[in-house]
Amino acid sequence: MRHDREGTTVGGVALRGISKRFGSTRVLDDLSLEIAADEFLVVLGPSGCGKSTLLRVIAGLESIDAGAIEIDGRRVEHLPPGERGVAMVFQGYALYPHMTVRQNIAFGLLNTAMPRDEIARRLAEVARMLELEALLERLPAELSGGQRQRVAIARAIVKHPKVFMFDEPLSNLDAALRARTRQEIASLHRRLGTAMIFVTHDQTEAMTLADRIVVMNRQRIEQIGSPLEIYRHPATIFVATFVGSPTMNILPATRNARGVALSDGTVVEADLPASVPARDLRVGVRPESLTVCPPGSGDTRAVVEFVEFLGDKTHVHLQLASGDRLVALDEATFAAREGDALGVRFDRAALHLFDAGGMACGRRL
Amino acid sequence: MTQARRDEARSGMLFVAPYLLVFAALLVYPLLSGMWLSLHKADLFGGSQFIASENYSRLFHDAVFLRSVRNTVWFVAMTVPVLTVAGLVLALALNDRSRRSALLRGLFFCSSVLSVTIVTLIWRMVLVPDGGLIADLLARMGLSPIAFLSDPRLALPAIALTTIWWCIGLPMMLFIAALQQVPRDLYEAAALDNAGWWRTLLRITLPAIRRTAIVVVVIETILQFQLFGQAQILTLGGPNNASLPIVLFIYQVGFQRWDIGYAAAASEILFCIILLAALTQYFAARNPRRA
Amino acid sequence: MNSERRNPILFSALAVAAIAMAAPLLWTLLLSLKPNAELLRSTQTALSPPYTGVNYSDILGHSAVFRWLLNSAIVSLAVTLGVLALSSLAGYGFARLRFPGRDAIFIVVLLGLSIPEQSVIIARHQMFSVLHLHNTYAGLILPGLAAPFGVFLMTQYFRAMPRELEEAAWLDGASRFKTFWRILLPLSLPAQATLGIFTFLSTWNEYWWPLISATNSDMYTLTVGVASSQMNFAQTNGLGFLMAQAVFASGPILIVYVIFQRYLVAGVSRAAA
Repeated sequence: MRHDREGTTVGGVALRGISKRFGSTRVLDDLSLEIAADEFLVVLGPSGCGKSTLLRVIAGLESIDAGAIEIDGRRVEHLPPGERGVAMVFQGYALYPHMTVRQNIAFGLLNTAMPRDEIARRLAEVARMLELEALLERLPAELSGGQRQRVAIARAIVKHPKVFMFDEPLSNLDAALRARTRQEIASLHRRLGTAMIFVTHDQTEAMTLADRIVVMNRQRIEQIGSPLEIYRHPATIFVATFVGSPTMNILPATRNARGVALSDGTVVEADLPASVPARDLRVGVRPESLTVCPPGSGDTRAVVEFVEFLGDKTHVHLQLASGDRLVALDEATFAAREGDALGVRFDRAALHLFDAGGMACGRRL
Repeated sequence: MTQARRDEARSGMLFVAPYLLVFAALLVYPLLSGMWLSLHKADLFGGSQFIASENYSRLFHDAVFLRSVRNTVWFVAMTVPVLTVAGLVLALALNDRSRRSALLRGLFFCSSVLSVTIVTLIWRMVLVPDGGLIADLLARMGLSPIAFLSDPRLALPAIALTTIWWCIGLPMMLFIAALQQVPRDLYEAAALDNAGWWRTLLRITLPAIRRTAIVVVVIETILQFQLFGQAQILTLGGPNNASLPIVLFIYQVGFQRWDIGYAAAASEILFCIILLAALTQYFAARNPRRA
Repeated sequence: MNSERRNPILFSALAVAAIAMAAPLLWTLLLSLKPNAELLRSTQTALSPPYTGVNYSDILGHSAVFRWLLNSAIVSLAVTLGVLALSSLAGYGFARLRFPGRDAIFIVVLLGLSIPEQSVIIARHQMFSVLHLHNTYAGLILPGLAAPFGVFLMTQYFRAMPRELEEAAWLDGASRFKTFWRILLPLSLPAQATLGIFTFLSTWNEYWWPLISATNSDMYTLTVGVASSQMNFAQTNGLGFLMAQAVFASGPILIVYVIFQRYLVAGVSRAAA
């Protein structure tokens, strides 16, 4: 990302100190973020976390109470949406039902002073790019879900925006179509090289598409980082449990002289920095970092609660002597049954520590 | 930011302004002006005197006006229950997809589309003792004709009959729409519970369309309190004011005798009566759920 | 409702009702097909043929009815278009734009729905006398434009439209009016059709206001004209002619009804919901 002398970004989006309230509820609180001109940023979070609001504020569909928004070096927070140089693909596509595909795509350009032949040229170009040439005279009602989405994307591309925004565009598609469309969006980004902001609650989409992920929860940013960072070094319990499937196991623990002690007495030996508190700790370990072994071996003892066979792997639901529950990943050939006693081994290199407030503390053990 | 909000406000006001102008000039102003007028005695030459509530007290002692109030209330009592019940029965009977039902629904509704003047013309030739349809049929049966419109006891009921014929379409349509909103599952559950036809009607259908029934009653009450054209054309309010409704009284006083203040006062009283009747019905019907 | 009811009582009751409903209409038609002189002697002749179209050809030669028809058409069309325009604009404003006092003003407009005709007609008559608007088209058209029903209907309709469409248009750089004109208005056609047919019908059938405002017989609307014929019946044209007039006057409105009844029924259904 390039910076000008004054620190304004060239290309890309910069949010500085954005605050927004709906009535008396604070929806965005002093939020700052910078997005590079060619970056694919995913805003990930559960419903109601503020991610759509963030998107709409950048687009200009919502106003802000405080702060500044820059797009391509220009201050835009006072500008109406049509003048910000952004384009958006809505969750329901929002195609104009009474206009043909051609008219839908061209509508935005016709509202500007662009000459007709330029409009025609861009239309042809985008129709070719997204394979819409055969559909140009159809109405939206005559298109399939996937086709409608392509038209929505075409409508966005044809404006040559500085930023593309996607508001949960895949949630209306069935599973197979979702995977294919994901790949198409990724390849679109590679082709166009423009900044893309993609809002979703689906962590698979986030992990596969993003250059960086912004994880939001309850109107706050929990963490910003690359997919790998988010996965490997979650900054909070929320991020740790939101990303990754099956969910990361979280166990209550305390600190003792040798390291960390779980509720059932198991001690994981480690050198903890002084900053790690003594009580109310949480240990996080992903199912793939737990190994199931014969009873009597491993770090601790557990009883099988139930087993889910997925064909290529098995989710083993276990319960420790302390009552804490765990999920471990095992091969498809897992043989033990409900009620069997087993041993569990922790991969020390893959343990996470969180304090009482849910923040990651210490580096990894 | 405030600029965007200001632009939106300005746009908004521009969009609603044309209508609000018409609304204020042609609805609000005449309404208020009418109330003011009712406190005056206006004469033919444009002068008027402020007499406060004298018009109203005069009305309360005006035998003709009181007669018209009685007539109107009686008229509403004759028409509204019949319209509601008949509308419901027709809706129940014709609420299916068959061709025959569609035609019958069309038949029962088409009268509502005609103007009052056409309806009265049609029914005049039904009711009149000299050459009317009923008279001719009675003659064929060897009976003597009945002078509906000139009989003080029969004039208002005859007008009521005409009105019912005229207005039955709307309640029927409203009830049909309401019946179609009742979820099928309710009926299926009742069938599984072995409920017979009558019980299903009583326990399932009627409660489900309760709100619509209230709406129908209130709307029809408001409408029928404003009886005018049928009385004016068929009987001129006679014989001897036996079929004079309040609105015809207002018309005669205001636009034939030009005693405008007095007429305005009568119209305000009618407004109050209608409001009272409608609100009473609405709140009485909205009682808390019985178990 | 699943009617396995081949219930004979209900069936015969329905038949009686249907006959009672159709009889007056049929009677009117039959009367119109008989010459006046014959009916003067006895109307019972209407119950049997021969029938003649002489009354109708008389109407076609009688100019007054056509004048009335023209007046009704002009006034009804004008009011319909006016109401559609004003209600759509106001409906969009109330539904989608925020301005100070919006909700309060909307409630006042809704309260206007409860105002009965007689509460405003006297003062309106005065007003129009002062403005010399009686016996003019404007005098017949203007009052109809104030009806709040249209605004109510269009506001509800616009409120129910998905916001995303407007936002997409906004992002496409369309101004508020353009969004209204090119996107939302075309999509509100069903509501417009319902409002249009409803307004047209009720304006066409209006009686009291045209009666007292259009007192010159060449400004009569069809509705008023038919009434005046009826009142003058004794000394003028004859029964057959009168009934033919009734049929003739019903014609346009029944045709409009048949063509547009889908929208009327849809409107009633939506209102009941």
